[in-house]
Amino acid sequence: MFNKRAQTAKIALVHPPADSDKATAAAETSNVQKFTVRDGAIPSAPEADPRPRMRPLLERVTRDQVVSALLACVSIGALFLFWYLGTKYRIEFYIRFKNVPTPYEVMQQAIQVGLSTKFLVNVVYSIRRIMFGFAVAIAVGVPLGLMIGRYRRVNDLFMPAIEILRPIPAIAWVPMSIMLWPNNEASIVFITFIGAFFPILLNTIHGVHSMDGVLIRAGRVLGANEARLLWNVVLPGSLPHIFTGLAVGMGVAWVSLIAAEMISGQFGVGYFTWEAYSLVNYPAIVLGMITIGILGLACSGIIRICGFFVMPWLAFAPGSKK
Amino acid sequence: MMNIEKGQIDVRDVGVIFGADTSNQVVAVNDVNLNVQPGEFVSLIGPSGCGKSTILSIVAGFQQPTSGEALLDGKLITKPSSERGVVFQQYSLFPWLTVRKNVEFGLKMAGVDQGKRSITARELLDLAGLLSFENHYPDQLSGGMKQRIGIVRALATSPQVLLMDEPFGALDTQTRVVMQEILTNIWQQFRISVLFITHDIEESIFLSDRVYVMTARPGRIKAEIKVPLPRPRTSDMTETPEFTGLVHELKGLIREESLAAMGPEIKTRGLEGFGMKVGPQGVGAIL
Repeated sequence: MFNKRAQTAKIALVHPPADSDKATAAAETSNVQKFTVRDGAIPSAPEADPRPRMRPLLERVTRDQVVSALLACVSIGALFLFWYLGTKYRIEFYIRFKNVPTPYEVMQQAIQVGLSTKFLVNVVYSIRRIMFGFAVAIAVGVPLGLMIGRYRRVNDLFMPAIEILRPIPAIAWVPMSIMLWPNNEASIVFITFIGAFFPILLNTIHGVHSMDGVLIRAGRVLGANEARLLWNVVLPGSLPHIFTGLAVGMGVAWVSLIAAEMISGQFGVGYFTWEAYSLVNYPAIVLGMITIGILGLACSGIIRICGFFVMPWLAFAPGSKK
Repeated sequence: MMNIEKGQIDVRDVGVIFGADTSNQVVAVNDVNLNVQPGEFVSLIGPSGCGKSTILSIVAGFQQPTSGEALLDGKLITKPSSERGVVFQQYSLFPWLTVRKNVEFGLKMAGVDQGKRSITARELLDLAGLLSFENHYPDQLSGGMKQRIGIVRALATSPQVLLMDEPFGALDTQTRVVMQEILTNIWQQFRISVLFITHDIEESIFLSDRVYVMTARPGRIKAEIKVPLPRPRTSDMTETPEFTGLVHELKGLIREESLAAMGPEIKTRGLEGFGMKVGPQGVGAIL
């Protein structure tokens, strides 16, 4: 339908795509040349092939990564060294390493436990609770956050209640949760949900509020009705903040889960760790802690990877090339 | 879509007052009357803060006038609609959509199926000379490219009128000039009515059939100038005596208003009244 026009217009439009970036770049190089000529320096320098300039950049990036990896090793190594030396010399200088198991003991415990299914069952339980609680937190937190962020009346209705509930830490919900829910499993999932819910909700609201209003107006003049505006403009526009909420929420969810498992649980990594303390099995305590650390790290890693795939445009966003 | 009879904008006795109480009310726009005939390119020019963008957002349907009315083809404008395309001053492309998906957005909202959407979007991108960037994200493009995409995105739904709010305001001078040529080219193809807001005198003359000049706040229409230059417009026309004559005429009208916009002191005493001689020696010589 535009064919004929497109052709005629193309002739007129052949040169513009070069656009300002390149044009100004060209202008800059010619300026540079003028200056160098005037200063009596070698005028051919700016004309040099750009490829040799790319190489050092590439080398610097890889060296950068090597340095990062080295520092990461130093960081974790120092942690182990401190632990190793503390337990080797049984340091007692206000903090007491007297009963702390050595890295070797913990490793042996890991091997022993790894051969049994009991430990694995605990890990699976914790992961399942996290997944349920987190999924419900997303399913409730994101839509509610979008509505609260977008509509003042929804905000007026929900925010007072939310502001009262928000300062109550998830751990404080444990007794109430046990009373509320029919079984132990549901009450622990509920506590995990509480932990994840508020960071997700508040970041979603913030995401809607911090959106550029011109995008909403653009959506409306392009014919989007309110529902489509929410789905096609407000939601994607708030995604970066929503993902911040997910990352924070995941951290709080783990904190809440472990606390709930320690207090009221059966199964789960938190339960495993607390049980080890009750049974005076010190290496298992440390194993439980390390497991929690690794699981938490893996979960936030998964969220980061999801974010990367869900929001590919962020790689080009103005702030990303710092 | 080349229906010449459609696309008439009428703005009648429009006034806009900001602020609820009588004590802090600001009259932004007062008794504005203007019209854009079907297929006509009309500019609205005035000093900053005179309310020209307010007029545009009323015609776009983002805002309701306190008094008066805005009509499109005799129908009262009450809310935004895809029959009135808007190109914004800021970059308004959706950063999460690729260039092609941005152009397709309006068609998607209109329920056009994916195949047709893609064909139309690609044709329009070709028209803007940006087909090779169809799978790029807006953040990968320069300002001029983004605004070109903003224009074709607004045209994708075949609107009857195009409303442009200082679309080239954020671009550098060279890009601006190229963009103006591109816009006249595109407009020549589509022949839809355009209401173009700007504060750039040369730009308004180069692009328009008619130019409305607004006064400083409260904004009113001060003058209406016809631009008799032939079409299609080319960049060498800017050196013709007709063009420079129009620039001169508009400059005189705008200068008065710009001084008024700076405050009553400067208006009554002029720059010379402050003991300044702004001449060839410049401000540096005075200080």
